[in-house]
Amino acid sequence: MKKIILTGIASAALAVSASAEVKVGNPMAVTGPIPDLVAPMLLAVDLAEKHVNEQGGLFADGQKYTIVRADSGCDPTAAVDAVTKLVNVEQVSAIIGPVCSGATIAQAQSVTMPAGVVTLSVSASSPAISSLESGTDLVFRTAASDAFQGKALAELAIANGIMDLAISYANDDYNAAIAAVFASNYEILGGTITANEAHEPDKSSYRSEVATLGADTNNLALFAYYGSSGITILRNSLETGAFDLFFGADGMAAQEVIDQIGAENLGNAFFTTSTSDQTTNAFGAWKAAADAANVPAADPFVPNSYDAAFMMALAIEKLGSGDRAGIASALRAIANGPGEVILPGEFAKAKAILAAGGSIHYVGASGPQDFFNNGDVAGFFSKNTVVDGAWKAEIIK
Amino acid sequence: MWENFGFEFVNYYFIPGLVLGCIYALGAIGITLTFGILRFANFAHGEIMMTGAFLTWTFLEISNIFLGFYMHPLIACTPAIFIAIFLALSVDRYFYKPFRDSPTIIIVMASFGMMLIIRSLVQVIWGPNQITFVKGIAKPNSYLKDFSSSMDMMLLVPSKHLFIILGTIIIMLAFNYMLTSTRIGKAMRAVSDSPDLAKVTGIDVEQVIRATWIVGGFCAVMAGVFMAMDTQFIMSTMGFRMLLPMFAAAILGGIGRPFGAVLGGLVIGFAEELSAYPWFGNGPLLSPGYKSGVAFSILVLMLVFRPSGILKGRVF
Repeated sequence: MKKIILTGIASAALAVSASAEVKVGNPMAVTGPIPDLVAPMLLAVDLAEKHVNEQGGLFADGQKYTIVRADSGCDPTAAVDAVTKLVNVEQVSAIIGPVCSGATIAQAQSVTMPAGVVTLSVSASSPAISSLESGTDLVFRTAASDAFQGKALAELAIANGIMDLAISYANDDYNAAIAAVFASNYEILGGTITANEAHEPDKSSYRSEVATLGADTNNLALFAYYGSSGITILRNSLETGAFDLFFGADGMAAQEVIDQIGAENLGNAFFTTSTSDQTTNAFGAWKAAADAANVPAADPFVPNSYDAAFMMALAIEKLGSGDRAGIASALRAIANGPGEVILPGEFAKAKAILAAGGSIHYVGASGPQDFFNNGDVAGFFSKNTVVDGAWKAEIIK
Repeated sequence: MWENFGFEFVNYYFIPGLVLGCIYALGAIGITLTFGILRFANFAHGEIMMTGAFLTWTFLEISNIFLGFYMHPLIACTPAIFIAIFLALSVDRYFYKPFRDSPTIIIVMASFGMMLIIRSLVQVIWGPNQITFVKGIAKPNSYLKDFSSSMDMMLLVPSKHLFIILGTIIIMLAFNYMLTSTRIGKAMRAVSDSPDLAKVTGIDVEQVIRATWIVGGFCAVMAGVFMAMDTQFIMSTMGFRMLLPMFAAAILGGIGRPFGAVLGGLVIGFAEELSAYPWFGNGPLLSPGYKSGVAFSILVLMLVFRPSGILKGRVF
């Protein structure tokens, strides 16, 4: 009896707090192998939260849009723990994040999909996520699938005259998937792969790996997170002279890589990242807002993070409540249009249109953000090279 | 491209295996000592290692600010060793001692808790990001390279690896002397064999326990600093990453047998590196992705066929 009363009081308390705010969970890889890449993404999510609350909050009574952050550590186990807490204890309406593909897949399969909660990932790009669900429509992302990036990277390699190479990839959902896409496209385009091996992340030395891989070529396609194996492999390759040309994707384009290896040693390295077309109006609006708040507007996945947090607020506003069940269709309604175009930061305008019964079409900082049937979006990629001790991005069309 | 060198096996498989084995061995000594004398698996051991590396980095930076140059990490680690030993002793005094007479599982859980507490504290103080320990690329030691090439060989060993290998040998010799020839070393062996018997013969068990933490903490910090010198960066999860191979080394060598731990560390270090060597044909014998699996297959086989380890350690 006592227990029932207590539960009753607890749920009443929850109901009271729910009327004042709408909570959205935000598991991000705050710790783990890529903290440098994640730090500005956190700022972008916070900026979206601030924009929504400054421009009148949610619904007619101005409820607070609250982002509840948790640490998913770029790790499937940590992500499941963090999201379980967000979904069951914090009772969030939806999930924005996690950062890494392995974490996103794990939390979707074990927590959010069974609970009927929408996941809108800010940067998970594994092709495996496209086919993660059938008919549930609960997993979305604002970053493009690596099915596109792997192909872009293969074309870039051939265009740079790299006709033979060895591939080393970290044994996780993201890196293994993009390595496979890259390998098949590269061979179709006429390149020769002399060796293709997985490596185990988090080892203190990769000398034997690079020695074996480097037997027949000087070019290495490296798919890894910089903090768990990427930097060590670069260092071991340069120390042993196994490779002198490196390229790869998102997980490596961090300032930490240059700081540790030294810009003078990275003259022959380029990495592609997901990026935005910086000539659009939407990016201009985002850049103005981001610059004002000291957020690095063009860093990898930073605009994608803002888009995710902002679109979630628009979807909740459109739905009129934080009800978990309606968010997926509301998200599609505000993203895919038709309706009045809303640019990043224009929450008050969107709110007014929705209040008057109109419909809106969000165009994001990182791209149009129109969801395909499987919850994916299209995207742009850039080639990053070291210029004056920092990564310089150049968009590939 | 390796045919020109000929010494491919030695340079890229044997020496890295030896370096890794040295680091595992130093770490495993502390684990096997606490296992032997205090009779519990100390999960916080990797964190002492990591804290030592972070403290060393701090002293490196301090030396750069006040002296204008970076000291060698092996000099900067001296004050770090004292602080880390103090940390290990305080943890024992306030968190393990109250549970000395409780069932082992309670003190194991206490050490698990300490592991999380220490790591979180380090993250609060130094942040969760990677920190560069030593910048740039370590080129092979040119003296050794010239010397070996004059003898028609080609040894490519960075100086940092020479320091690690020589340092480990010196620590091992000192450790051997302590265990076999000093009073406290003999007392440690006595307590390890039978704490009750040692107590009735008048050995101060608490003093032996303190000595255990001092020796274990010293070896842990050295392992942490050596590892930081090798990888050239430090991060808060580095100790935890090393914990499982170090446990494997301790069990492989025989629980409570310090020299077994050294042997176990070397075996695991070599096994991990050499499994990727193209023994037959051109491809690696075993995909390097399964490196960790090698260590643990050895561990499982040992536990099944010879649970006492190589040097007949304790069986629980």
